[in-house]
Amino acid sequence: MTEARDEIDSRDRLLLQRMAAGDRAALETLYRAYHGGMCRFLSRLTRRADLIEEVINDCFWVVWRKADGFQGDSRVSTWLMGIAYRCGLKALRQRGDEPVDDYALREGRGPSHDPDEDRQLRDWLGKALEHLSADQRLVVELVYGVGNSLEEVAAIMQAPVGTVKARLFHARIKLRNVLPVLAGESPAQRGKLS
Amino acid sequence: MTNETNAGKDCTRAWEIMPWVLQATAPPEQGEWLMHHLAQCESCSTEFAQQSRLRSALALPADVAVDVDTGLKHLFERLDAPEPGTLPARLQWGGRLTKALAVAVLVQAIGIGVLGARLWWDQTPQYRTLSQPASLEPAGAIRVAPEASMTLADWNKLLHDFDLRVVDGPNEVGAYTVVAKGSPATSARLLQELRASHSIRLAEPVGDTP
Repeated sequence: MTEARDEIDSRDRLLLQRMAAGDRAALETLYRAYHGGMCRFLSRLTRRADLIEEVINDCFWVVWRKADGFQGDSRVSTWLMGIAYRCGLKALRQRGDEPVDDYALREGRGPSHDPDEDRQLRDWLGKALEHLSADQRLVVELVYGVGNSLEEVAAIMQAPVGTVKARLFHARIKLRNVLPVLAGESPAQRGKLS
Repeated sequence: MTNETNAGKDCTRAWEIMPWVLQATAPPEQGEWLMHHLAQCESCSTEFAQQSRLRSALALPADVAVDVDTGLKHLFERLDAPEPGTLPARLQWGGRLTKALAVAVLVQAIGIGVLGARLWWDQTPQYRTLSQPASLEPAGAIRVAPEASMTLADWNKLLHDFDLRVVDGPNEVGAYTVVAKGSPATSARLLQELRASHSIRLAEPVGDTP
């Protein structure tokens, strides 16, 4: 897993070097590589497709201009997601929007061509995430969805590791109680940490 | 009791390492330990299965449809758009005009300020009251001290008769400085006549004043 991520990071660093030299093909490659992940990450913050596209483009606008300033202290993916996170918060602030705390307000959920199993899984996840705050959703996304460490999440969200750890802990406690109910099970006898 | 406590500690440990084992970033020995624990603990096993399902759900593509090609097209359009520092020539000319107008207004403001200051300093009155000291006595001036009993009418008559004009005074001792309207030069005759006047206590040429 780590080796695979290291390989991706090496590829990303080369792309950044090419971007610093003005190579738009490198920008397109990086854009396509991270578009899906960023969409998913930002969809935990807002459900507006137009805003998600705008934030992704804001992010890559910054990356294009600052490609030669990447210090290499973190993985490129961590750097990118941090920029996307800050662009997302800024876009929401400028519009006076709050991160979507009512996760039930979902638009266009689940393409119709989804296999049934995926649709059920997505529905189950959507209902579960309704019980989390925006920050908790983002931490869960970054840890379980993206595969970031606590330190990487802290760098992305510019928060202390302890804060991230607490957000993850509380999110897991909530999910622990909610997920079995949503799956038709009982959370009883499973609450040792709650 | 001890077994229950140990089991609780194991469950807590299992809980903490589950995300990292699922990520495959936990050390191999931790993964092995967890698998061993899960085989013995139904509760943790169920929890792990739940988290594994959560991870699968989170790995699904975003459920908000955002087209990558459209987004990329918009990004390139944005990159090709002129930056604020490189505006079209027409707008740049407009910017220069605005700056020129601003400079003109500034110059005008400074000019008005300078003129105003000069006007302020030039507001010194062009007249002088008799109580103010004379800056320079005119040529042929005579200092005349009338008697205390002299009336204003007599004083005016005297000035009229001798064709004199008061240019200064009265000073501390009540003397006036007068000059002849016609000839500014002091004539000895004028002095004699003034001194001969019974209502004039003193008449002396200013230039001779010690």
